[in-house]
Amino acid sequence: MERLKAALSYILIIVIILSLAVVLILSVGSDVPKSFMSFFRGIFGSLYGFSEVLVRATPLILAGLGVSIGFRTGFINIGAEGQIYWGAIAVTTTAYLFPGLPALIAIPLGIVAGFVAGGIWALIPGYLKARFGISEVINTIMFNYIAINILGILVRTVLKDPEYPLPMSSKLPEGFIFPLLMYPTRLHLGFLIALIAMVLVYVLMWKSSPGYKLRVVGLNQRASLCSGIPVKKYIVFSSLLSGGFAGIAGVGEIAGIHYKLLEGFSPGFGYVAIIVALLGKNNPFGVTAAGLGIAALQVGSLSMQRQAGVPASISWIIMGSIVLLILARSTLLTFFAEKEKEEKV
Amino acid sequence: MKDIDKYFFGKAANDKVSLEVKPGEIHALLGENGAGKTTLMNILYGIYQRDGGRITWKGEEIHFGSPREAIDNRIGMVHQHFMLVPTLTVSQNITLGLKSEGHPFPNRRSIDEKIRELLSAYNVHISPTDKVSSLSVGGEQWVEIIKLLYRNAELLILDEPTAVLTPQETERLFRVLEKLRQEGHSVIIITHRIPEVLEITDRVTILRDGRNVATVHTSETDSVELSHYMIGRELKTISRTPNTVSPQEEGLGLDELTVEENGRSVLGPLSLSVRKGEMIGIAGVDGNGQKYLAEAVLGVRDCSAGKVRLLGGDVSSASIQKRKDMGLGYIAEDRQNDALIMDMDMRENVLLRMYSKREYVKTGFIKYANVDETAKEMIETYNIKTAGLGKPVRYLSGGNQQKLILARELAGSPPVIIAFHPTRGLDIGATEFVRQKLLERRASGSSILLISSDLDEIFALSDRIAVLFHGKIMAVLENDGNVDVNYLGRLMAGESAESGSNSRRVE
Repeated sequence: MERLKAALSYILIIVIILSLAVVLILSVGSDVPKSFMSFFRGIFGSLYGFSEVLVRATPLILAGLGVSIGFRTGFINIGAEGQIYWGAIAVTTTAYLFPGLPALIAIPLGIVAGFVAGGIWALIPGYLKARFGISEVINTIMFNYIAINILGILVRTVLKDPEYPLPMSSKLPEGFIFPLLMYPTRLHLGFLIALIAMVLVYVLMWKSSPGYKLRVVGLNQRASLCSGIPVKKYIVFSSLLSGGFAGIAGVGEIAGIHYKLLEGFSPGFGYVAIIVALLGKNNPFGVTAAGLGIAALQVGSLSMQRQAGVPASISWIIMGSIVLLILARSTLLTFFAEKEKEEKV
Repeated sequence: MKDIDKYFFGKAANDKVSLEVKPGEIHALLGENGAGKTTLMNILYGIYQRDGGRITWKGEEIHFGSPREAIDNRIGMVHQHFMLVPTLTVSQNITLGLKSEGHPFPNRRSIDEKIRELLSAYNVHISPTDKVSSLSVGGEQWVEIIKLLYRNAELLILDEPTAVLTPQETERLFRVLEKLRQEGHSVIIITHRIPEVLEITDRVTILRDGRNVATVHTSETDSVELSHYMIGRELKTISRTPNTVSPQEEGLGLDELTVEENGRSVLGPLSLSVRKGEMIGIAGVDGNGQKYLAEAVLGVRDCSAGKVRLLGGDVSSASIQKRKDMGLGYIAEDRQNDALIMDMDMRENVLLRMYSKREYVKTGFIKYANVDETAKEMIETYNIKTAGLGKPVRYLSGGNQQKLILARELAGSPPVIIAFHPTRGLDIGATEFVRQKLLERRASGSSILLISSDLDEIFALSDRIAVLFHGKIMAVLENDGNVDVNYLGRLMAGESAESGSNSRRVE
């Protein structure tokens, strides 16, 4: 019975979302069947389209995993965007410092640098929360602006490509660039790293003792303290991990897609990652599925824009609505259950 | 109230319960924890809505949608957990939510005067201008009762009113209740303490498992019959055997232990030595430093001065982890917040004490097979009723949650145990079980610090009784069966041991 209700509620959400999509498509004066066709053709119609979904999903999964670790431990990390930026800065800087390294060393080094930089960027608000009780929500948001603008300064000064007038770095040395997995598509090593990260996070959180403690701290700080877990240390640890994975997302975007550091390389991956973590219920496999789903939504709507003239903006409206409905789902379920009971009496 | 039904998640909390209270009567609602007493009263008071049955008040059928409507109909309730705003004054709390004379700019002075009259009429020595935060728990209860009288309540419902009072305060409360009865008020007392029922009430209705067992005139019954009604069988008496294990060696020692909070001393300095195989009961009204004491021994709270000795070694600056590894079992006062992770399953809750042991965690990885095995053993030995290892402990009953904590904290035979309200909120069966387990541990040589506000428990289990008042130990008494409850009560109220019987009550 419960399971049936849950299934029904998801079907209801799908129906609402589809109706909303139809209304939006009609309101911009486009043809509904054609729009839907082009949406799905965009995702499944070609190898390239499908690979684009994976490419889009890569940073979402990595940053989403990071955010989910934070959420599990009670560190509400809204700053994945800034941590992504630091990952990008770190890999570019490392590449500048050691340009001659072979790929076998350079790629892992870049990833580690990105992890450390993103991690430290999150660790500062983590420490402030653990030590002084300052809200990490505000701090991580503010840190986004700082990170974004530090990058802005860097690409105009020390990291600027002197031979090019625009504010961007020169191309990364060959060794640091992620190999493509399926030429001629843009699918790169980052996607594999995201999948490895998914397994790693699962093992860490559910099989290892530190992960167990992170989850315990997230669920009940007081009981953690009483059982002897150094709560503050684990909050700081969680912020480090959280930012670290987001940092790797930044590395992937630079070393796998753009090959150079530039402003605005992330169209808000860090913010979408929060949605990914929420939709994935902070479970690494859920996060991966949510990352792929949202990436597909975006890729599909881009195709819808090209072929049916429907603005891709509606994908954002739909994404917002999905999150709203899924978060409201459990509350509404109990609400209706109680209502039903009252009517019976 | 007739044939009241109330279901929570399909389980009946009240099953065709009936209750009749006459004007000018003190009526006890007697039953174990979880018998449905409070639920029934919350329905009457409009907090819960009934699923079936009828309620009549002064001959008319009524249905309260909220406490507001109940108060408008002159029915008032004092909850077990008081609903006061500590930062406001007594008079502000009493008039909270009322449109007093001159609203929205009430004439505070004339209100204060009116409340002062009411307070002195019932012989309560509290000033209307006192902040509630400055009152004792007993004082807060007075504010709650006066609040109802100020609203002209004819029927007062008191939920476990004596749980937070010293014997003397209880006595005073009862005098006031008698006065109320003379004035024609009706009172319902929710309680599980039989002596109180016999002392003060006119009639008593007994509930068990959400059903009516009986309603009898107090004058026509006795404690044996009532306890039989209440639990459905005879109560086993727990017997304590003398301490036979090395009575010289110390298990837990406190040496001038002092705890400060915000620069104010909240505990101590106090010294106490619990020997091996000994149980010391800490008696005292809740909120007199019990929490600080337990937390300082566990290490959650730093002591600002003094020492905590565990098995002879100074652990004052050792981590909680270290203390637990040395063999400190901690039965927390607040199961759901301090001891369990409600959303985790049984095995992960068991792991909460085992994660530092080789047997369960190897090179950072948890050996779930071993954890499962231990958890299963605990379920068997402690007879924990669970739907499965993988189910969140949220779904266990309070008694089974406590058994789980007991199983976990007593695993590996810890030489020192802090039992903080170990039976609070448990039914009689579970209470017996917990007490039995503690006595078993004591018999095998553990030093046990029993902190409880239940004097019966203290008397039944401890070898010595230490009375805690305002963070200090007033006296340590040998529990040889000759301890005078009245004397103990006076100590709990802050009279020093030397001052004798002619000294004034400290309020």
